[in-house]
Amino acid sequence: MRSAMRWGPGAALLSVPLVVALAGPWLAGEPDPRGVPYGSGTLLGTDFVGRDVGEQVLLGGRTVVVVALAATVLAYLAGTPLGVLAAMTGRRWLDELLMRPLDLLLAIPSLLLLILLAATAPPGALPLVVIVAVINLPEVARISRAAALEIAARPAMEAMRLQGESRWRRAAGYVGRSMLRTLLADLGVRVVGALYLVATASFLGVGVPPDASDWAVMVDRNRTGMFLQPWAVLVPALLVVTLSVGLNLLFDGVRRHREEAA
Amino acid sequence: MLGAGAAEPVSLPKYAVRRLLLGLAQIVAVATLVFALTEALPGDAAVVLAGDVPDPERIERIRQELGLDRPAPVRYADWLLGLLRGDLGSSLTAGRPVAGFLAEAGGPTVQLAAITLLLLVPLAVAVGVVAAIREGRLLDRALTSAGIGLYSVPEFALAVVLVALFGIRLGWFPPTAVGVGPNLLAQPAVLVLPLLVLLARPICSISRLVRAGMIDALRSDYVRHAHRLGLSTRRVRLAHALPNAVAPAVQQLARTTDWLLSGVITVEAVFVVPGLGTALVSAVSARDIPVIQGLALVFAATTVAVNLVADLVAFRLAPRAGGAA
Repeated sequence: MRSAMRWGPGAALLSVPLVVALAGPWLAGEPDPRGVPYGSGTLLGTDFVGRDVGEQVLLGGRTVVVVALAATVLAYLAGTPLGVLAAMTGRRWLDELLMRPLDLLLAIPSLLLLILLAATAPPGALPLVVIVAVINLPEVARISRAAALEIAARPAMEAMRLQGESRWRRAAGYVGRSMLRTLLADLGVRVVGALYLVATASFLGVGVPPDASDWAVMVDRNRTGMFLQPWAVLVPALLVVTLSVGLNLLFDGVRRHREEAA
Repeated sequence: MLGAGAAEPVSLPKYAVRRLLLGLAQIVAVATLVFALTEALPGDAAVVLAGDVPDPERIERIRQELGLDRPAPVRYADWLLGLLRGDLGSSLTAGRPVAGFLAEAGGPTVQLAAITLLLLVPLAVAVGVVAAIREGRLLDRALTSAGIGLYSVPEFALAVVLVALFGIRLGWFPPTAVGVGPNLLAQPAVLVLPLLVLLARPICSISRLVRAGMIDALRSDYVRHAHRLGLSTRRVRLAHALPNAVAPAVQQLARTTDWLLSGVITVEAVFVVPGLGTALVSAVSARDIPVIQGLALVFAATTVAVNLVADLVAFRLAPRAGGAA
């Protein structure tokens, strides 16, 4: 099976952090009483406020994964209709009105935009989802618009127009369905990018409480004790690395598999 | 892609002017956006300056002193006029002009970014060319997989893993830049780990593009023709195939300034470098609005400028691919 060879290693690598992230909170159990900071009583020792690192690792992956996925979904939900509308409207001014402001957003470095937006928003997971979605919005809208333009120029569209199909049916039924392939190819880049932004923002302490159970926050907060208790930093950092590398390899394998099949 | 869009050929000066106008519009729009966003920051500077005991009268007095009681459009116009004169206002917490503040914190950041770019181009081109020449062989597959895997690993995670291994466990390089001061070059060993982290992502993406471009170029008719003319393999590869292969990479290089800026912010936080990224993070937590505005503007203007130059270079290298703006 060549196809399994293509995406197998990525999937295997990805499964470890993903299982820890999603199933961890159920496995973590009741929080133990706090011990001394950077102690070594338990398997992975304790963190900067004396919590069990093993338990924090189990608790800390869910926010990263869920926020990144939710932000990606939200970016598509908002960006794709925007792009399709811009492509299919016959009015040039509406196209410009929809797309030009998004081009300007693209000119701002994404982490800078994230820091600025997060500083103005209330802290929490939900605002972070919205912010990361906003940052991804221009690219999603641009890709959707380009894909829709290409599809709208096909003869099938002309035929549907002549048959008297409504604009809505043409947009949602034909263009929407035909775009799925392009959007799926783009999905990997989006998810990985969202993951990068969410983790980096949490590491910088943007939009998260300082003692949150979060892999990126753990890396940041436990750095001071790296000489005493390296696991408190290394384990969450390695989980973030495997999550990201695994996702990249998996999506790339899937992409090449589709290209070969096509 | 030939013939798509059927845009009429544009000369370089014409393209440059158009691109320059777009860049200017972008910077003005970014300045406006930055102002609007900092306006929305909860709690203004007066609250911060008033200290631990927020006395409403004192806050009101500070607001008047700072001119914060004027309506937003007036302050916006004032700020823009100041920008034209190069006046970015004064830091609220340090009391010094923002421009001086930026110049000081800019040193380490510019050093980091410049050295990264200097190393990035030859390394990425070399990796891409080697992979392309060995296409499909073990070396190519190893380089390509490593590149895809590392492509978007968050810098902070990579950084702490490297610090734990090379900084603490093996003790080869200093784990942080604490005590080095603003001139990082004074102690080059400090730079090794931050540079490794900063180079990881851009090398992956650019070498991939160089590889793809090089493979295309090596298969093209003109390279076959050059071979037939009896030119040496080395000469064909480096003088004929490579320039065509790097045009898309130049544009990607500009896009990596976005990453480089994100990377610099994170790397400065990990290695405790007193640069612009550190300044930004602490200004945000201190609500030091003039500093945030100044930093955001500098970052955004840099990105716009680099993209502009890259588009022009790419246009010059391969005019057909231009006209994207």
